[in-house]
Amino acid sequence: MIELKDLLAPNAFDPLIYWILALFAFPLLSFFTTGLLKDKASVWSSLLLGINTCISGYIAVTYWGEMGTSLKGTWFEIGGTVFNYSFLLDNAALIMLVIVNFISLLVHIFSAEYMRHDKAKPRYYAFLGLFTFSMLGIVLFHNLLFIFIFWELVGLSSYLLIGFWFEKKSASLAANKAFIMNRIGDLGFLTGLMILYTQFETLDLGAIEFMMGESQIEDGNWVVTYFSNGKEVIHVLDGRWLSAAGIALFCGAVGKSAQFPLQIWLPDAMEGPTPVSALIHAATMVAAGVFMLSRVFVLLDAQALEVIAIVGAITALMAAVAALSQFDIKKVLAYSTVSQLGYMVLAMGVGAYDAGLFHLFTHAFFKAGLFLSAGIIIHQLHGLESEGVKFNTQDMRVMGGLKQHLPITFACFVICSLSLAGLPGFSGFLSKEAILINTHAWSVEKGGGYYLIELMAFATVILTAFYIMRAVMLVFTGKFRLPELTGVSDIAGKLKEGNRTLLIPVVILALLSLSFAFGSTFDAETSWLHKAVETPSGAMVPTKYAAVGQAEMLESAGADHIWLAVVSIGLALAGIIAALLIYKPGAKLAEAFDSKREPVSPLVQVSFYHWYQDVLYTKVILKFILTQSKMLAWFDEKILDGCVNLLARTQVVVAHLTGMFDRYIIDGFVHLTAFTSGKVGQLTRSIQTGNVQTYILSAIAMLIMLLLWFAF
Amino acid sequence: MTEHLLSYIIFIPLLASLVVALLPKRLADSYRLIAIVALGLSLVLSVVGVSLFDSDVTGLTNSEASLQMIEKVEWFSINLGSLGRFSVDYFLGVDGLNVSMLLLAAIVLFIGAISSWNIKNKRKGYFSLYLLLSSSVLGCFVALDFFLFYLFFEFMLLPMYFLIGIWGGPRKEYAAIKFFLYTLVGSILILIVMIGLYNSVYDPIKTGAEAGIFESISSATSDQISEVQTQVKLGNVSSENIVKSFNMISMANEDNYLPDSFLSKSSAAQVFGQSARWMAFLALLIGFAIKLPAFPFHTWLPDAHVEAPTPISVVLAGILLKIGGYGMIRTAFSFFPDSAYHYSWLIGFFGMFSIIYGALNALAQKDIKKLIAYSSVSHMGFVLLGLAALTVEGVSGAIYQMFSHGLISATLFLVAGVLYDRTQNRLIENYGGLAHQLPKYTVVVSIAFFASLGLPGFSGFIGELMVFLGAFKSASFIGAIPMWMPVVATLGLVLSAGYYLWTLQRMFFGKYWVKDAARHDNLKDLTLREYLMFVPLIAMIIWFGIFPGTLLDLISNSVEGFTQLMVQAVK
Repeated sequence: MIELKDLLAPNAFDPLIYWILALFAFPLLSFFTTGLLKDKASVWSSLLLGINTCISGYIAVTYWGEMGTSLKGTWFEIGGTVFNYSFLLDNAALIMLVIVNFISLLVHIFSAEYMRHDKAKPRYYAFLGLFTFSMLGIVLFHNLLFIFIFWELVGLSSYLLIGFWFEKKSASLAANKAFIMNRIGDLGFLTGLMILYTQFETLDLGAIEFMMGESQIEDGNWVVTYFSNGKEVIHVLDGRWLSAAGIALFCGAVGKSAQFPLQIWLPDAMEGPTPVSALIHAATMVAAGVFMLSRVFVLLDAQALEVIAIVGAITALMAAVAALSQFDIKKVLAYSTVSQLGYMVLAMGVGAYDAGLFHLFTHAFFKAGLFLSAGIIIHQLHGLESEGVKFNTQDMRVMGGLKQHLPITFACFVICSLSLAGLPGFSGFLSKEAILINTHAWSVEKGGGYYLIELMAFATVILTAFYIMRAVMLVFTGKFRLPELTGVSDIAGKLKEGNRTLLIPVVILALLSLSFAFGSTFDAETSWLHKAVETPSGAMVPTKYAAVGQAEMLESAGADHIWLAVVSIGLALAGIIAALLIYKPGAKLAEAFDSKREPVSPLVQVSFYHWYQDVLYTKVILKFILTQSKMLAWFDEKILDGCVNLLARTQVVVAHLTGMFDRYIIDGFVHLTAFTSGKVGQLTRSIQTGNVQTYILSAIAMLIMLLLWFAF
Repeated sequence: MTEHLLSYIIFIPLLASLVVALLPKRLADSYRLIAIVALGLSLVLSVVGVSLFDSDVTGLTNSEASLQMIEKVEWFSINLGSLGRFSVDYFLGVDGLNVSMLLLAAIVLFIGAISSWNIKNKRKGYFSLYLLLSSSVLGCFVALDFFLFYLFFEFMLLPMYFLIGIWGGPRKEYAAIKFFLYTLVGSILILIVMIGLYNSVYDPIKTGAEAGIFESISSATSDQISEVQTQVKLGNVSSENIVKSFNMISMANEDNYLPDSFLSKSSAAQVFGQSARWMAFLALLIGFAIKLPAFPFHTWLPDAHVEAPTPISVVLAGILLKIGGYGMIRTAFSFFPDSAYHYSWLIGFFGMFSIIYGALNALAQKDIKKLIAYSSVSHMGFVLLGLAALTVEGVSGAIYQMFSHGLISATLFLVAGVLYDRTQNRLIENYGGLAHQLPKYTVVVSIAFFASLGLPGFSGFIGELMVFLGAFKSASFIGAIPMWMPVVATLGLVLSAGYYLWTLQRMFFGKYWVKDAARHDNLKDLTLREYLMFVPLIAMIIWFGIFPGTLLDLISNSVEGFTQLMVQAVK
């Protein structure tokens, strides 16, 4: 049997810790120092991030390996329980490390131009530094408590960056929404921590993975036995708490990775600067939830996995539908992100840990590429704005025909779009294919209603292809609609391609969206990136908890590989062709697009307003909570405090009454006594005349009476 | 020097209070300096005390062996003939349960003194009362004789009453009287139990000396003490020789209860048809719950806070509330662990309820000071929940939460004071976009708000995390509170994020706007004096958020001893 202390024992000193500290130090330095700089902020923090990217590259190359390198130490102790910290550098962490740093660096460079004229630029870069710092914490730590800590810090930096332009009310409201939705998810995360801590007395993932292998389900109870400080302990919880722990941790991912039902914060988060959307709300932070699921994969039992799969599929489909009808180019991309995150979560749910991570990696590049391309468009359009001419630079209704003006951006956008749509030759195809194959195998294994999940996954393929092609057509083809809308005809001439600072990051990201970057064109299994995360270091669900054996599942999946690929390519092509036909220049919908307003048809409304989820939350749930709080405040002030005041007032009344009693009755009695004795005194005084004869007379009379009394 | 350290800490402010009271009016400008120097000295000595504190001392919290820096002399004793003797000690000492509170008190009182710098009217009265208050607060945390503790506890009321009632806001009289009466009700409950305990508890050492079992008090060995306890149990010691005691450490040891006395464990005495011990526990619990405050005894708090001047709000929230929590740990739970277990469900429930109730109330407030006051109610709910868990994590979390809330709420009330100083108005709806006008202030406010809503990296998170972990563990560890309680209580975290972020958004973000334009000119960013208060506070909040070991190492042995008492009582 295992001794917990041994599992948590700090390792011997390893110089790796310096590298890790350096990784944290540079972004943090950026956070603290850029605020002091003015125009140099962008150069300085890009430089720091550049160093960090080099370090992460070096670490990735040095520590690349299957088992991963871990580092442990003690944070603090309480009552014999060790709260430790631990790092794990396995392949997944190393890839994430490089991706986070690299995309962050690209975004830093891109922002140098994008934010050039913003006075609050130092603050912007400081927040980016804080974000990178927090994100690296999630990636590197292998202890759930630390992951949770950095998880919340990521939420904070996201809040700060969404609300960056705080003078806009919509921006600060969106920031609040993001933070609170994430917090709701974090309640689940925290509950998960409570369950795991109660069972294992530690939150170290390495130790938990080990002890999960030792734990059993006996008679519906979740039992684990180990030595803690030399004493044998047997921890027994109801077996349902195991599922609960998995689902609770997943709640955290639901918040951060924008899954149903908390996903509504992500589209609003587009209020932040576009490079931020690319970094945080597309490539890295929102993927943290999926990454976390991969870290706790060992804890997810059959019930939890089922919930995860269903939520993922629902999210993927709902968001894809919502992306169909948006006017705002960033909203299209935001819903697309939600939908793709749904895919990743679905992959986790069907047990395809590696496919989910793979899609996370490929998505990071092509989605960041899409967002930054959109950023160029927005930035260049913003340059056309002047005192007299104001318009919404993100609205696709003012765009159109940008292919001529922004050719390189157009090329990059199309490459990334095709990757998103999932055509062979692009990275998105590889990872999406892997997810679809696994989903299929899972549905076959489970049968019955679970085919619906597969159906949703495939339906999302065609919707994805359609909405992204719609965006491409509306933005880049046809005629430029802005001159007509603003009435300034020469405005089109002023629109130019973005400069090199803007283009280089986008071109790099577009190149990384091609499948050759990952060493394969058709089969995900042969991609080096996929292989790297294929065998998670002991992170497989112990077969005793998982209902579906993963090995058998993959075997059955292999047989259907070819025709599944054909179907998904066919669906993607169908979506693309449909969009091409409907929105081609001259087509009815494309021509009428500039005059389009918010939809009235209920079906389109469902898409445009994202299934009315937002309305439900603000009008029903939020309103309910606010009414409750007002009622409670009223109760507190009027009833509870009213009782206290009433009590006090009763006291005062009673005091007055006793006062009156005291004055009129008690005091009255005293007065009466005084009065009586006074009267008696007067009476007796009247006897005392001062006349000696009278005294003698009365004395004799008394004497006689005394004698008489004695005699008888 | 070090042997009377605790006395110095208590009596330096008292001495300063006298000095202020005796100095002539023309030296009025020196009052505040005297206050700052005196409390600064107390703070330095407290820090010295904490650094001398040996965190390796272990043991149950009902034995004096677990105490450090003990000062114990007989204060007075009265011979009551056949009723035995009545003995009160001047007994000070620290262990892990109060050392952190002593440090917190010294910090907050010092910060409060700095923030009193701008008090204009009746300065002599203000500063001498403030110093008197400081002295009694500090005394309250280190006194280990119930009589002495009660004396300090009651003595706090008087200066507090005047400080709110004279230097407060428009409804100061109402608030002051409400505070006074509320706390007095609590004090009476505590007093009743104190008398009951005095009738039941004896001091084995003094009794032994009196009965001649050993030579003198100082020569008593632990064997002889248990010999005395056995003799008393057997009834071999005549009642004249029994020395009744107010020693709070003895009271926590059931061996020191007279056999079949009113509050002994074997007692069959009943009050209102319930076991006398249960009732005594409840009385102490309610007495201190008023101070904490917990729902439904909290309604004095919003009024007192809103009306009190800023430094008094700081002291009130930062320290006075903690006496409630500390009092529960030191008295109610320690004396009656069996009753604590019996009522743990109820305590946990009220803790959980306070968390959510306070947060929902805060959400509805229009006055920023009231909002912070209700957030205190919510955060003190964590203390109750953690205590009710009766686990090491839970109790440590409760103490940690008290310490961290002391720092954070002090910051919050100072933050509210900054705005009030400039505009004499605290209504949230009167401001908008202050971040444009007061960027540095906004940074401080944001840090304070995020610290209070439990963001990791700040001390509040550690306390709440410990409470949650301990409360959830409780069910399978000792069976005190059910698992759903902490899970439901997590809702408080969302609500607190809600009211703080909403306030930030309404007051600080958006377009700059102040309702009364005349106030615009007064809206200047932070001054040097304000930085002097905020920077150290925020630094400490962050320090204790990142290095919880600093505090937990001090308290964890005693907390373990404390929870072992609970476990023993349950078995």
